[in-house]
Amino acid sequence: MADAVATSKLTKTFGRRRGVIDVDLRVRRGEVFGFLGPNGAGKSTTIRLLLGLYQPTSGDVTVLGRDPLADGVAIRARVGYLPGELALFPRLTGREHLDWFARARAIRSTKYRDELVDRFGVELDRPVRALSKGNRQKIGIVLAFMHRPELLVLDEPTSGLDPLLQDEFARLLRETAADGRTVFLSSHELDEVQRIADRVAIIKEGRIVVTDGVEQLRRSAPRTVEFAFERDVDLAAFSAIEGVRLLENVDHRVRLALSGAIAPLLRVAAELEPVDMTARPADLEELFLTYYRDDARTTGPRDDM
Amino acid sequence: MTCDTPASADRAGIGALDVTLLDLRLRRRAILGYAVGLAVYTLAVVAIYPSFKGDTSLDKLMQSDPTLMAAFGVTGSLTSPVGWLNANIFNNFLPVVAVIVAIGYGAWCVAGQDESGALAPVAALPLTRPNLVAQKCVALAVQLAPTMALTFCCVLLGRFFQLDVGVGRLIAATVSIWLLGVGFGLLALLVGVLAGSRGMAIGVSSAVAAAAYLISSFAATISWIRPARFASPFYWAVGADPLRGGLGVGHFAALVGLAILLLAGAMVAMRRADLH
Repeated sequence: MADAVATSKLTKTFGRRRGVIDVDLRVRRGEVFGFLGPNGAGKSTTIRLLLGLYQPTSGDVTVLGRDPLADGVAIRARVGYLPGELALFPRLTGREHLDWFARARAIRSTKYRDELVDRFGVELDRPVRALSKGNRQKIGIVLAFMHRPELLVLDEPTSGLDPLLQDEFARLLRETAADGRTVFLSSHELDEVQRIADRVAIIKEGRIVVTDGVEQLRRSAPRTVEFAFERDVDLAAFSAIEGVRLLENVDHRVRLALSGAIAPLLRVAAELEPVDMTARPADLEELFLTYYRDDARTTGPRDDM
Repeated sequence: MTCDTPASADRAGIGALDVTLLDLRLRRRAILGYAVGLAVYTLAVVAIYPSFKGDTSLDKLMQSDPTLMAAFGVTGSLTSPVGWLNANIFNNFLPVVAVIVAIGYGAWCVAGQDESGALAPVAALPLTRPNLVAQKCVALAVQLAPTMALTFCCVLLGRFFQLDVGVGRLIAATVSIWLLGVGFGLLALLVGVLAGSRGMAIGVSSAVAAAAYLISSFAATISWIRPARFASPFYWAVGADPLRGGLGVGHFAALVGLAILLLAGAMVAMRRADLH
């Protein structure tokens, strides 16, 4: 059976503006795949290419074994989509949205849809313009899931949801994967992805920088080591050690990210006579930040493309 | 895998007119508002006709400055039933309102919905892009119908106010303006798809409509503009005075042909458009 998603050198540019460049992705059937990156990195652009909403500039893409442009109708019948910036029709109520999309998709039974409505406590009777972002997002989740698609493409799906509902959503994703269906989920929050995804790809400035299993990534992720000193110390010695990066130096407390063996670091630190030391286990957050630290620092939040 | 609803993978597109019905529902207040507003206006124009019927000063005004009057779409006698209806409704007000309504919808239905983000969930349904455009076109044509129908009915009431025009010619005049509106709506839709901007769609289409209106109006009195009238859809719709002589086959074909051309252009452009 073909992969749920396969792209090869997929590129999209908007005139001179970068979209995504040479994106290679393979999402297997039945897995929850996390697509991580800061705002503006190209997550939504990639997702729109998968759905046939954008025309690729170059490269190949297949979804459920088919071309999203040539076989868009067949693919979209089998895919559920939750856009990143979900916009609904302000004057219609949640119920009117669900009814219209159910009719448009020729959904005969509304049993599963009604279950989802109950599960997420979807507000059905008020116009969506009167709903909070979270309540609108719940409608979007039901719209994406209600036809039990083989592939779910979810762009920042938990945005606006409270923590309890985020847990409920994570359960829904696990059930979906257990059912043999596939989830492709974008996020700029690592916590969310490492909780629910089997594998992740990290995108930075339009290019995929790493694709791996969450556990494998965790193993290669840097640990955080912190030393406390009684006096100012020369940090150059730390920076010279391979695999060590300085994170913070506040009030004689020095926080370092370490990937690799700890012995060289301990030898250097011992010379500086620390009064205390703590080491945290491997932190995927650190790994994530190392991949797009520059981006986060220089551009800050902005609309995703 | 259990499935309440086997999503038919190769379904040739979503239900026949789901998108049309959705857009009509979203626009129903505007549709009703324009229809009622135009009906009230038409009734007023019809009801005051007896007061002006014998007013020869109006015709003198017309003769004194035909170019100025042409700018307002006024040609011929103002006091005859046909002249009165043309000067107050069919040569200016009704086509302008039809074009405004149509451009408003044409610019909103793809570019506007795409800008707001509301088009993406619809475009992610199993329907082809040409199907989406075709459904928008049907919605465009249907939403102009109540305004046209109510105006038509109100003019028919004119026979109780000494304002009698042939039903066949009234149908011709109404249909030609309806086709004119559809044409400009499709122009706005096409520009919106090409530019990806509702503002651009409204701006370009309105500018074209204004130029087309002026060309058609002045062609009657300014000789050097006269050859350009064939480039104006207003000329094909109202320039040959369908209320007086009916709608010629050539004029009808030009309006229908223009609409088909713009629809085909929008379908092709939509295939290549990036939707957000």
